[in-house]
Amino acid sequence: MRGALRYVGARFVTTALVVLGAMLLLFALTALVPGDPATALIGPQATPEYARRFIVEMGLDQPWWRRLFTFLSRLLVGDLGTDVLSGRPVIQVVGAVLPYTFALTGASIGLALLLGVPLGCYAATHRGSTADGLLAFSSVTLIAIPSFVIAIFLLLLFSIYLDWLPVLGGGEPGNWVDGGKRLILPTVALGVGWIGFVARLVRTSMLEVLGENHIRTSRAYGLPDRLVVYKYALRNACIPTLAVLGVGIGRLLGGAVLVEIVFARPGLGRLIYDAISTRNFAVLQGAVLVVVVAFVLTNLLVDLSYSVIDPRIRRQDPVR
Amino acid sequence: MSAALVEIRGLSVHARTEAGEAHILRGLDLTIGRGRILGIVGESGSGKSTLASCLLRLLPANISRVEGSIVMDGTDLLRLGPAAMAEWRGRRIAAIFQDPMTALNPLFTVGTHLVDVLRRRFPDLSRGAALARAEAMLETVGIPDPPSRLDAYPHQLSGGMRQRVVIAMALSVQPDLLLADEPTTALDATIEAQIVDLLGRIRRDFAGSMAFISHHLGLVAELCDDLCVMYGGLVVESGPTEAVLARPRHPYTRALLDCEISEGDTGRLVTIPGEVPPVTADVEGCIFATRCPHVAPACLAGQPPLASVGPERRAACVRSFEILP
Amino acid sequence: MTILSGSGRTARAVASRPGGALGLAVVAAILVAALASPIVATHDPDALDILHRFAGPSAEHWLGTDHLGRDLYSRLVFGARVAMEVALFAITAALVGGTLLGTLAASVSAGWERPILVLFDVISSFPSLVLALAAVAVFGPSTLLVMIVVAATLLPHFGRVARAQVLGVRNAPFIEAERLLGASETRIVLHHLLPNIAGPLIVLASIDLPVVITVEAGLSFIGLGVRPPLASWGTLIYDGYAYLSDSKLPVAVASAALGIATLGFTLFGEALRDAVDPRLDGGR
Repeated sequence: MRGALRYVGARFVTTALVVLGAMLLLFALTALVPGDPATALIGPQATPEYARRFIVEMGLDQPWWRRLFTFLSRLLVGDLGTDVLSGRPVIQVVGAVLPYTFALTGASIGLALLLGVPLGCYAATHRGSTADGLLAFSSVTLIAIPSFVIAIFLLLLFSIYLDWLPVLGGGEPGNWVDGGKRLILPTVALGVGWIGFVARLVRTSMLEVLGENHIRTSRAYGLPDRLVVYKYALRNACIPTLAVLGVGIGRLLGGAVLVEIVFARPGLGRLIYDAISTRNFAVLQGAVLVVVVAFVLTNLLVDLSYSVIDPRIRRQDPVR
Repeated sequence: MSAALVEIRGLSVHARTEAGEAHILRGLDLTIGRGRILGIVGESGSGKSTLASCLLRLLPANISRVEGSIVMDGTDLLRLGPAAMAEWRGRRIAAIFQDPMTALNPLFTVGTHLVDVLRRRFPDLSRGAALARAEAMLETVGIPDPPSRLDAYPHQLSGGMRQRVVIAMALSVQPDLLLADEPTTALDATIEAQIVDLLGRIRRDFAGSMAFISHHLGLVAELCDDLCVMYGGLVVESGPTEAVLARPRHPYTRALLDCEISEGDTGRLVTIPGEVPPVTADVEGCIFATRCPHVAPACLAGQPPLASVGPERRAACVRSFEILP
Repeated sequence: MTILSGSGRTARAVASRPGGALGLAVVAAILVAALASPIVATHDPDALDILHRFAGPSAEHWLGTDHLGRDLYSRLVFGARVAMEVALFAITAALVGGTLLGTLAASVSAGWERPILVLFDVISSFPSLVLALAAVAVFGPSTLLVMIVVAATLLPHFGRVARAQVLGVRNAPFIEAERLLGASETRIVLHHLLPNIAGPLIVLASIDLPVVITVEAGLSFIGLGVRPPLASWGTLIYDGYAYLSDSKLPVAVASAALGIATLGFTLFGEALRDAVDPRLDGGR
């Protein structure tokens, strides 16, 4: 187990470094604000008294290294600052919309795995067939078209022409049925690209695995195709698939921001968008940081999941 | 030779390669006797592994045409549908492969491999019973501490141990035909000796037939009842091992034997001059003519048929008795 | 250079692949529209015609008009120009910067390797659109900013590939031979390393191109990228979206154009990758 612990430890250190780097970058961005920081941050219309109060409150009169120190030490205790507009702690503001974004991205990934994995397996086991070719082309199409474009077309089609589903907003809090219905179109918009993405990854990895010797062994012992493909080969194919999926999460989060805006759904995307329009810097910083942390943690999770799948990582000790 | 279990007649295999259409097996005839061990020897490129793939009907994707017949217990395997053929694998036919390092799935335990194979072969077996039998099989093939090895992953075992696991899988399904395709080639010499030893030991309890494919004549001599020599996609000589080795009836067997003997005695490697004709070439006369020291005009008339040259012995050489008195 | 001399053959190989011909056609059409916008367009893209706002497709206005009566077809054509400008700038910057950093990480002293790789990791941990949003929030929306941010987010892509390629080529026998003949490091990098790693990088560039188009359009769509009245596909959707209750046509037309463009470039990029080197298939 020692090898595994060292691996996990090293991975945590890298993750921490990346998060720290992200914080520094965020800090640098605000420090880089051109011209007078107060004017840039709160807009030129602010009264001089307000601007002065703002500067002191935000610590903008301090030297940059002191501001950096304050910034980082606050972050360490989970203090993302205060939303100057509503007076609420940023962490609450972000926390309130986080479930909506998680529901959307989670549902999209779920949809993509549910459909993409079997489609990819089917394409790999029927290589060269018409279905395989069709699937390859539709995968590329789904991957290539930006999710917000798909969102717009779904919006036009379902809400405006067909009027089947409630479209805009996230639904009343607590009303699960309504919330679920409002989740359908955004999930599809964000998820279809990923269905193609997953199907394609699974197909490629699966084809590689199916050519390996141990699969020939399984077949030579007459194990049914179902078992060979879905038990033996699929687990092997998961490893390269997961690696690429982890990287793809970044694009998914970016897509989620736009999809939320198209469907006027509450969420991190809308929060960031509104924060930019209102020049609400603390909220913007907090929300972006949460997105980055979520992305990095997902990738950490993906990396750790290899060790669940692959015993060669799990136990590096040879048997006595 | 006792009654045949497998009769291969006129087996011809074509493949698509970058160099064009290749004729890998050129109408090969071969018989595996019931309850006997048949050694199949030949240089690399002689078509040994393709022959094994044909018996399992697990052919590489580039194979374009398979003709002839492989009759096992009255059924032509080449005429079975894919589902029917799958029924034969892991029940009537089992296989041990060349590279034990990659023959097992790295993500599943030894126990899972054995249990899945056992429960597919014996559907009535409960999981517990299958595990117990798997443990017994590991014991049989000489793996120490079987209970803990059931939970081991392939990477935790050495190459020799992995090959023993595959042998345990093969024996556990009690096949009528056990194919061993160069099972020791990838192992180092001491381990090779242990595996050969194991195969010799299990033959006493094993009721089925075995086809042992190797490029190593000495190994085959040690283990096999019958011998069949392949060259350029054809069987050029076959017969009981002792008789063939004592008095080969084909110049290629003679040459192979000479290589083996000189290697053992003086350490000096005698090679057979020339090369196997490329699989993409059309061959007019005897397949061995290009390398045969005794080639005569009669040899170029066509490939000589595998003809009887003694009790249970066959060779494909028109000048057999002239040149090998 | 080898890449250029083989371009005719490569183009044929791309066109012969399923999807490749379609991709090539779309890419060619967009390039023509971008390079010769004033000729290809039928109207001045900014000419207002308030009396004919929200007009449907007609002989005069092939794709109808928007909320200010501007010709949608002509705006799409000029939008192609904006998209190509942003994409080419961002890709070129990322390609040059990434290659420099990647080569530096691979070839000179080992001291540079770790910091550069950590930098790549940090940049990659920002979803590109989110990083772009953060930058826009600070500096305000501008086309140049979009280009710089997108280039920065693509930097690790090119950097990692360049590094891997250099590491792969550096110890190849022919490089070793050059070194033995006394060639300087600079000569080796300029004459041997770069030409050898150019193929994969160009393929990567063509695969990343639709990503750039998407980010630019996405930012412009929420009003944080290219500023109106400049016609970009994203701003066309943005404008149309605001007047969705009046007419669905502008949104539908602009979205379709964007979708076709990204699809075309993706098909082209993939066919190019397969034609140049099938082994590069990373399943991306």
